[in-house]
Amino acid sequence: MPLPAKAFQLWLHQVAPSASTADICRISGIKRTTLAQQLVRGKVAETTLVSISRALNLNPLAALATFEHYAELATSPQPPTPAELVSQVATMDLLRAVISRSSPAYGGYGDSGSSLTPGLGPAPHATSVRNWVDAIDDGELRHRVSAATGVAPQNYSAQLTANRLSPELAVATSRAAGVGFTGGLVATGLITEEEAGWPPGAKQSALDALSDGELASLAGERLQALGKSLRRQEQEQAQTEKIWENLG
Amino acid sequence: MMATLQWGTLVICTVVLLLRVPDAIQGRNRTVFGILLIATLCSLLSVAGPYEAIDGVLGGWNLTHLILRFLVFAAVLLVGLRMARGLEDARGYRLIAGPAGRWALAASAVAVAATFFLMDTRGSSAGLLDITDHGGRNTVLAPFYAAAGRTYPGFVSLALLPALLATTRSQLPRLVRAAAFLTCVGALATAVSVPASFAPETWTLAQQTVNYLAVVGYVLGLGLFWFSGVAAQGPGNARATFRKNKG
Repeated sequence: MPLPAKAFQLWLHQVAPSASTADICRISGIKRTTLAQQLVRGKVAETTLVSISRALNLNPLAALATFEHYAELATSPQPPTPAELVSQVATMDLLRAVISRSSPAYGGYGDSGSSLTPGLGPAPHATSVRNWVDAIDDGELRHRVSAATGVAPQNYSAQLTANRLSPELAVATSRAAGVGFTGGLVATGLITEEEAGWPPGAKQSALDALSDGELASLAGERLQALGKSLRRQEQEQAQTEKIWENLG
Repeated sequence: MMATLQWGTLVICTVVLLLRVPDAIQGRNRTVFGILLIATLCSLLSVAGPYEAIDGVLGGWNLTHLILRFLVFAAVLLVGLRMARGLEDARGYRLIAGPAGRWALAASAVAVAATFFLMDTRGSSAGLLDITDHGGRNTVLAPFYAAAGRTYPGFVSLALLPALLATTRSQLPRLVRAAAFLTCVGALATAVSVPASFAPETWTLAQQTVNYLAVVGYVLGLGLFWFSGVAAQGPGNARATFRKNKG
């Protein structure tokens, strides 16, 4: 659920008492009409709050935690699990790690590969939301989230496929899985890893801790999923071409 | 109101037809251009002025209206085959091009001709709306004549509907889906127009709205299918990008 406009304005008054709405929009890069519309509707998007917090040099996570819905974010921050960290490694980085660990004959560095692999790209990546949910899913997670939030499982899945998840659902998913709250917010791109308080290099260490077998299996799963989605896109492309060829 | 419907349909058909002229000259999908040409001709002939002028030349016994029916059949056949092929709808294509489609076309053509010649059709009247004024057999036959003329279009539309609905609900580009939706509306209206032929006279306006909606739906659908292709070729629209799968 987006933030209530009243609470948002109260917060804004506390953190920037002298700034006008126009000032806030200018420094945060939010369109004035967008903010005005959100205020009129009484619901302010979490992304708006995050943009403004960043512009004011405040921690977005701490700012979010001052709101009733997100009060849990302030309570004893639980660090992300290794599986969550690895889920935020982009597929291509994962494949690069596989090659780096291979023997020099295949362009790798052998056992010392991990330390020589080029740096990982920042989260979120192209499939970060689904990979995150898969990393914390015990098989029943989707049902529990659906029961707790009232969001239909197919709508939830549609959001994952689109690599999207509302902040409210991301937090609900973390709660249902019993993991820290930052994983979902990072995977959805609401906040950065740094803002979430993840130590620099945490993803790399989690990746290095995977055995060769685990890494290869994980990379295989990712490749399979990528292949599936690329094939679907190619099929849709072919369908569209066919339509244009006959009806265009 | 009727005049608005007639002229609105004619204007829409003409605009879409004119938009397709450059591509037709270049030899791209001339069939689609032909379909639009027939559709425009049909909507021109449903306006009283041009209809009476042409029918006058042909003897003033509404032969033009019978010809109009056959023009509609031709356009519908072409639309059906093109749509089924474009949407890769093998089942629909078999229905339209196969024995079922040929029988439906033949039966509709015979029924239309038979009812036409059984009626007293003297006195040019656009859309044969005044033909029942002659009384007698005409009052009974007129709805059957109208229904017979819409049976084949209705058959083709029903054959196309599943594929059109599937395309509307697919993940294809938005404009393509919108085009499929418009065509869907046209196909539905065409199917509904068959039973609507028997509606009582007080419902004439609603009945005519359905008829014109059918034409407008199909023509706008075709126009949008064309436009979706043109829009995709524009700058900044690289077609084969892996936007969703960068990582």
